[in-house]
Amino acid sequence: MSAEFAALVDYWFGDLPREEEAAFEEHLFGCDECTTKLAELVALGGAVRAAWRDGAVRAVISRALFDAMKGEGLCLREYALTPGGSVQCTIAAADDFVVSRLSAPLADVRRVDLVTDAGRFEDVPFDAAAGEVLMCPAPAVLKRRGKFTLRARLLAVDDAGERVLGDYTFEHSPS
Amino acid sequence: MQDAALARAIAGSPHAIDAAAEAEFCRRFAPRVRLYGLRHLRDRHAAADLVQQVLMMALERLRAGKLRDPERLASFVLGMCRMVVMDQRRGTARREGLLEEWVIPEEAVEDPEPRVFERDRLAGCLEALSERERSVVIAGFFEESPCADLKVSPGNLRVIRHRALGKLRACMEAA
Repeated sequence: MSAEFAALVDYWFGDLPREEEAAFEEHLFGCDECTTKLAELVALGGAVRAAWRDGAVRAVISRALFDAMKGEGLCLREYALTPGGSVQCTIAAADDFVVSRLSAPLADVRRVDLVTDAGRFEDVPFDAAAGEVLMCPAPAVLKRRGKFTLRARLLAVDDAGERVLGDYTFEHSPS
Repeated sequence: MQDAALARAIAGSPHAIDAAAEAEFCRRFAPRVRLYGLRHLRDRHAAADLVQQVLMMALERLRAGKLRDPERLASFVLGMCRMVVMDQRRGTARREGLLEEWVIPEEAVEDPEPRVFERDRLAGCLEALSERERSVVIAGFFEESPCADLKVSPGNLRVIRHRALGKLRACMEAA
């Protein structure tokens, strides 16, 4: 990433110190090229947001994003599982997202890996205080699928190795 | 035409409006004001209002010859953006009266057509990011604010965001 684009990213996300932000804005207002690049970044952001809202993307999400999605009035179907738990689940046409809340003892955990039938996903975000990993499959994909079983495992990973935090089973049926 | 020449052309025609210079002024600064509005107000409609209001106020002052140093046209417009946004936050309206006197070209105020990103390609590029990178990108653009609970420090979050957006841009450009 060029230093110029990095500065645009920092500016857009409010990561510049106040004085640097003011100076950068002065530069931006006199720079056609920077204006064009910032407009492209904003357009990319809009496309990412639209892809997410349209259910084209899966992610393990933060609590803040979960709350923001609820705040925007999106229809979230939630499943809460404890270690060893299993759930009959589905997604309805009216659902915007399905969020699986996998609880686990995460207090002293540094890194969590998620292992499913689809592969191993390293270093997923987790909420240590709440003891939860919020798994959010791509709704558009989920809505096209028939009946299937998904097994998921959370692993704590550190220098000493890894240990199982919990296993979870999803018995999915189309609605 | 350079900024200074543009400012002089607008100020130099008190009796006969230089429509071409004013149109060029709007074409040049509307995108910059819009991006400033999006960055600080995080709302497309509010940003569009800001464009209209700032261009009107700036043209009014330019015509009246109130810009002492034409070389500083960009700073002058930026200062006006800051003032209007500050006024909006204070709840002070400055636009009454101005709207009746000024007509800003509609195409300068309207949102330009955003660059179109191919949805499946974008979803594929997001999928190619690591779990944490994808979470940071989606949360950043969805919430339009720093993500507080991804269990990373602000500095680390910034590094992850830079890396993720660099990868995402490269992936989209490779398409």
